[in-house]
Amino acid sequence: MDPREFQFTFYGLMIVWLIITVYVLSLALRERRLRQELDRVKRMLEKS
Amino acid sequence: MRQTILFLLAAVFAGILLWNGATILDLPQQVTNVGAYKIIYFHVPAAFTAFTGFVTALVASILYLATGKLRYDAFAAGVTEVALAFATANLISGMIWARYAWGIWWTWDARLTSMLVCLLMYYGYVMLRQAITEPTQRARLSAFMSILGCINVAFVYQSIAWYRTQHPSPVLGFREGGGMGPGLETPMYWNWLAMLCLATILASVRMRQGEFATEIDSLRRQAHSH
Amino acid sequence: MYLRQIWTIAAKDLRSEMRTKEALNASVAFSMVILILFSFAFDQAEDLKGLLGGLLWLAYAFAGALVLNRSFARELQNDCLDALISSPAPPSAIFLGKALANFALLMAVELISLGVFAILYDVRLSGKLGLLSLVMLLATWGITVIGTTFSALTVNLTMRELMLPVLIYPFLIPVLMSAMILTTDLIAGVPIATNLVWLRVLVAFDIAFTAVTVLYIDVVLVG
Repeated sequence: MDPREFQFTFYGLMIVWLIITVYVLSLALRERRLRQELDRVKRMLEKS
Repeated sequence: MRQTILFLLAAVFAGILLWNGATILDLPQQVTNVGAYKIIYFHVPAAFTAFTGFVTALVASILYLATGKLRYDAFAAGVTEVALAFATANLISGMIWARYAWGIWWTWDARLTSMLVCLLMYYGYVMLRQAITEPTQRARLSAFMSILGCINVAFVYQSIAWYRTQHPSPVLGFREGGGMGPGLETPMYWNWLAMLCLATILASVRMRQGEFATEIDSLRRQAHSH
Repeated sequence: MYLRQIWTIAAKDLRSEMRTKEALNASVAFSMVILILFSFAFDQAEDLKGLLGGLLWLAYAFAGALVLNRSFARELQNDCLDALISSPAPPSAIFLGKALANFALLMAVELISLGVFAILYDVRLSGKLGLLSLVMLLATWGITVIGTTFSALTVNLTMRELMLPVLIYPFLIPVLMSAMILTTDLIAGVPIATNLVWLRVLVAFDIAFTAVTVLYIDVVLVG
């Protein structure tokens, strides 16, 4: 296989999973932020 | 229950991907006159997954307008966002392949252009959702926009297809012929299934986040009323 | 009765616009600026004739957003929007009335800029005005329907001036594309028979989006 072809195939496959990974990471970050927010609001509610 | 299903889906996803990946690796290097063709095994399933997502979101939007249940709205929102991620993956992997096969990153072909318009429109949808805070208003307006968006995609695709058939471009010749060799297409559908499993998991995670957000909102309202 | 309601709303909008001419003046001035800026962008272009339609419609599309932004936003003061919605006129009549008023305003802006465009870019329009105005009427109605719908959709948002252009331009692609091709060819003297398919796209777009918005607009306005 011509090395350039291999290179482009590799990039093409990587980018698909990279984008999906980035999306999953953003989901995880949002999950953490939401949980913290939920805890904070719950604590606020208990205090009052 | 929900978690079991999600773990099962994840297992199916990983299984198909490993087994199918091995099949794809074993495929011959050269089958058509175009090189780097193996990108297609992830490029096309990503597009299928994205469109499955957009159509599901359309159905969920119509169901929301018909029944007024906020669950459908949360579902539509989650599915659209996940579909956007897959559409982006599809577009960029396609660009990398185009750079190798055609020597250019982009061409104004019907498929490329309508996918890009689709992307812009649904990013607009996500932006609209972020800009509205009141849940039922957000649900109504975004459901309406989702319906308009699907009609528009049909128009964009058809008009650009006409435009390009009037000005044929040699670069696109082989796409019209269609049909890969026997045994070459099936791995693509398996990958589609794998990606659908992944998309379902992500959409369900996203939906639960939506429920969190509404819970936080209602708790806040409670706190303020004290 | 229904038509009377539409007309009442349209007349009200036009009257209040004519009193201040805020949107009209801004929109005309903006399209002039765009037309002048384009002359610098294409200063070195070999074949300007092939770009004329696109240039004209881009100016219309950008200037149009200024008019459309005001359409529902002007009702926010003194809660006029709530009053309108609770009036006996059905939501679709309110929508069509507003769309009609926007259509008239956009056509006015377009006709003024068309004159300036013809002078600045040395375009001979005699004998082509009939078909050109048909294209303008069809495409402007498409822009109006989409624009008025999204004007209603974004009226309660804090960022509505930013949101409207972001949301409408992807929707306007089929209309603008057909109008650009038709206008460029009309100016170049290509017979309309070769471009009938684009007229059909315009008509189909107008019918489809008018029907869907009239059917579903109460979702947006009333809820």
